[in-house]
Amino acid sequence: MQRAAHGALQHWAINVNLSTARQCLKPRAGPLLVTSRGYSVLPPPRDTEEKAMLDRMLRVDHAGEYGANRIYAGQMAVLGRSKMGPLIQQMWDQEKKHLAKFSEILAENRVRPTILLPIWNVTGFLLGASTALLGKEAAMACTVAVEETIAAHYNSQIRALMEEDPDRYTELLTIIKEFRDEELEHHDTGLEHNAESVPGYWLLKNAIQLGCRAAICISERV
Amino acid sequence: MTALLRGLWVGRALRGLGSVVAAPCTTTVTTPRCNTLRRGLYSSALRPQGDSKADKTSSSAAAPSPTNLHERYRAHAAGGQDTTTAAGSLQGEASAEPATEPEEASSSSDTSYQDQSGEQEEEYETEEQLRGRILTAALGFVPLHGWTMEAFAAGAETLGMSSASTGMFDNGAGDMVSHFIAHCNSQLTETLAERHEQVRLGHAEPKETADFLRDAVETRLRMHIPYIEKWPQVMSTLLLPHNLPDGLKHLSHLVDDIWYYAGDRSTDMSWYTKRAALTGIYKTTELVMLRDSSPGFRDTWNFLDNRMRDINNMASTAKRVQATGEAVVQGLMGAAVTLKNLAGMNKRHTCNILVFTAAQASVS
Repeated sequence: MQRAAHGALQHWAINVNLSTARQCLKPRAGPLLVTSRGYSVLPPPRDTEEKAMLDRMLRVDHAGEYGANRIYAGQMAVLGRSKMGPLIQQMWDQEKKHLAKFSEILAENRVRPTILLPIWNVTGFLLGASTALLGKEAAMACTVAVEETIAAHYNSQIRALMEEDPDRYTELLTIIKEFRDEELEHHDTGLEHNAESVPGYWLLKNAIQLGCRAAICISERV
Repeated sequence: MTALLRGLWVGRALRGLGSVVAAPCTTTVTTPRCNTLRRGLYSSALRPQGDSKADKTSSSAAAPSPTNLHERYRAHAAGGQDTTTAAGSLQGEASAEPATEPEEASSSSDTSYQDQSGEQEEEYETEEQLRGRILTAALGFVPLHGWTMEAFAAGAETLGMSSASTGMFDNGAGDMVSHFIAHCNSQLTETLAERHEQVRLGHAEPKETADFLRDAVETRLRMHIPYIEKWPQVMSTLLLPHNLPDGLKHLSHLVDDIWYYAGDRSTDMSWYTKRAALTGIYKTTELVMLRDSSPGFRDTWNFLDNRMRDINNMASTAKRVQATGEAVVQGLMGAAVTLKNLAGMNKRHTCNILVFTAAQASVS
């Protein structure tokens, strides 16, 4: 697929300034598609409203991935040497990749990161560690809750972008869709590993989801 | 109010359609702050000629026939607020634009109107452009009159407009100050962008971050030198409650631009700490400059150098503290594991010890 994209790009490069084409063809970090446009993930904003909307979306996505990263770090700190260790490590690695991608997008587009990052740092770690201390099923339940919230959040962003202008935001949509699919995989993995068997599952799950939704709401603005 | 209206009608008589710009503005401004309406109160009465400004003037560029234009103008003069003007609020509002884009396409009838009127009109411009011109002209009189309405009036007169057109600026000094600061910031951004381009193309050497920041702040503060006598008035104007948001916005954009071109691409708390530090340096240096009477503001630049050195020291101290902290934490973890082993709490070893002692017991 990479080669096909490469071939398509070279064809298109004829119409484009050579330097920008060269930049497109350069392999990018991560498994994401090489874009076929002269610019990177986001189109240059047409006006301040669009810039504000994209800023909010990217800020909250970045904060979300940062939080998820810290949750897995907390879980690993407790369960790292148990049977679940490799699985959690694998999910954590994927979250690290997501965070790196969003950090890159933020830096490129001069988006301000949320000022609450230190709070999400500590809160995420504590959430991961405390659920892991309750047992590995509780850790999986936490994963299920968080991933479900994140996936729903990504879905609403996808809907918003599709409503605005799907053609304009194709790269961003591709990235968000890919990340949403990976989050859903984590969610399913959690369910497979007996998340639902934890006592008080409904309570735990809803409490965590409420906290996540509040965090998303705040991070969009602050 | 009526005296103002009369004055404005006089101005209009002096300059045909050109001064019409001023008149309806004051009569039709119903929104509290004229200066927040960046465009289009007038775009409906005027037909935007310049294509370069076409995107900004698209709202109600639709005035295809002279009769429509006259009707709309009369509606303005009567104080009626056109819906398009309500829509045309901030520069670059997306909401109004799509609706008016198709109308703008029909603005090729612009030229037909001009031909029909038979006069040799100067280019129509938006309110925004006119305000910009008056503000720029007024800046020339600031060293003389200060940041006051006299400077505006004098500036308007050099442009050949009635001094009553200062009625357009209901936020007087605030508008002028905001315009000046925006102008300086955009000049700085251009300079930084050019230099960035030069470095990217390899024509120039990249500077050290501290030097870059220092030079950027110095360049920006030097733009105040022609107005330095009256600068305290600017600072106090910016502290007024209705000017405070604008002032802070300009400052934050300035500092963000400087750091961006200095190469900052951070996405964590250091984004905030860096900008806060630079804001502190910039503001304190600006204050020092007010009191500086040394030749060429040498004391100010020395002060700036010292502050940059302080920040550097703080940054390197912070790094060292962090490294030391990490080493200490590792040492403590090692000590904790050792204690656990000694106390026999390390399960794997105690298991082995139990097995071993059991084996010994069974043997003996």
